Amino acid sequence: MIFSKEKITISYTVEKCKQCAMERKRKFKEGDFLFSESNKCNSCDGMMRIEKIFGETIEK
Amino acid sequence: MTAESVDFTNIDFDQLFGFGDDTNPLMMLVWILPIILFIFYGQRIQLQVTSGEIKKAIKKLELYKNESRNELIDYVKKNMDVKYDPTKKIDRFLDYFTIMPVDMDPSGIVDKVQHIVRSREDYTREQVRALSPKTSNLELTKVQTLLEIATSLQMIYKVINHLFLTAKKQNNYPLILPLQMILPFIMEEAEAIRNAIPAFKQGQPIGDGIGPMVVGKMMLNSKKETIAFQTILSESEYEGRKLFLLKAEGPGSTVGRPGDAVEKIISKNKPDMIIMIDAALKMEGEDSATVAQGFGAAIGGIGTERFHIEDIATKNNIPIFAIVIKQSVKEAITLMTKEIADKADEVHSQVYEMINDNTKPGQSVLLIGVGNTIGVPQ
Repeated sequence: MIFSKEKITISYTVEKCKQCAMERKRKFKEGDFLFSESNKCNSCDGMMRIEKIFGETIEK
Repeated sequence: MTAESVDFTNIDFDQLFGFGDDTNPLMMLVWILPIILFIFYGQRIQLQVTSGEIKKAIKKLELYKNESRNELIDYVKKNMDVKYDPTKKIDRFLDYFTIMPVDMDPSGIVDKVQHIVRSREDYTREQVRALSPKTSNLELTKVQTLLEIATSLQMIYKVINHLFLTAKKQNNYPLILPLQMILPFIMEEAEAIRNAIPAFKQGQPIGDGIGPMVVGKMMLNSKKETIAFQTILSESEYEGRKLFLLKAEGPGSTVGRPGDAVEKIISKNKPDMIIMIDAALKMEGEDSATVAQGFGAAIGGIGTERFHIEDIATKNNIPIFAIVIKQSVKEAITLMTKEIADKADEVHSQVYEMINDNTKPGQSVLLIGVGNTIGVPQ
């Protein structure tokens, strides 16, 4: 359609700290797998685990 | 000729075109010609108009077919360390067809269908592996799925193009009508299949993976064993009940063989209840990512796995409960949406509620996460 806007899907990864349960959302990067340990938590230094990977569609 | 006889200021249009007179021959021609034209050439005119729309759709399908083929070839070249150009071989894989068994005598047809489908899967897997024997199983399952995507898009293009060209060749409008009616559904499906490619290439979970995602999380930190081909079993406990957790082996792109697995589990330990968690197609008007509970084996596919699960559950008198997460075709095969991912915790609590409501401590439950487990380990 001439007037419809282009839709793009951006992939996100949500990590959750196993100790303090803090959640952080960031852009997906290759090698991310659900339930794998990713980074250290910024607030308590515990390990974060990937809880969710999903896409959000936006109109350009 | 006098000036009075040609009075341009006083032309009677009604009289000229015969609006007030039905017997005017010029006016009769104006009305009758199109009627005659439409009687004899109406279908051909409609065929031309409809053809324009269908041609556009076929061009799109051709584009999807070529895109998926090229992406598959690029992926194989980049990720499989192939020593030669795999294009020719891949083109041959894309043309593979499956002849379903004769169903005039339906007795034993399920086993025959299963045999043919599995033969195709096994043969294709080995052929893909032969391109580069060192390839990991994860990459192999991804390539196999990308191959299935490209094959499906090629088949859709070929069938639609064939129907269209047949109708055009015969100049047969009624033949093009069914095509015009099914085309929007076909296009929706083809677009969904094409949009699935990036998720499979990057190993991201898809909407169909919500069942394995819920069960996979419950499997973390417990001992796992391979119970059937590409299918993982784990045992756990919940409030005095023994839980058998079953899902396809992630994070590869596979649905496993839950039918075989259930048969093996039940031959050793008879569970008191089976719970199946799966994605289900939502109806138009239904909200996406709604969770619903029901009865019966929640599993899609060609039907052979469902047949085996139903058969063994019936023979052993085990009730089957289902929890489904509703979604569209597109959502089911493309990168999981936020709405679906957010429902994982709700499904989790519904599973425990279902177990509490329907079993007593000391009993056992078989919990199956059904669906493609791409990007979902355990």
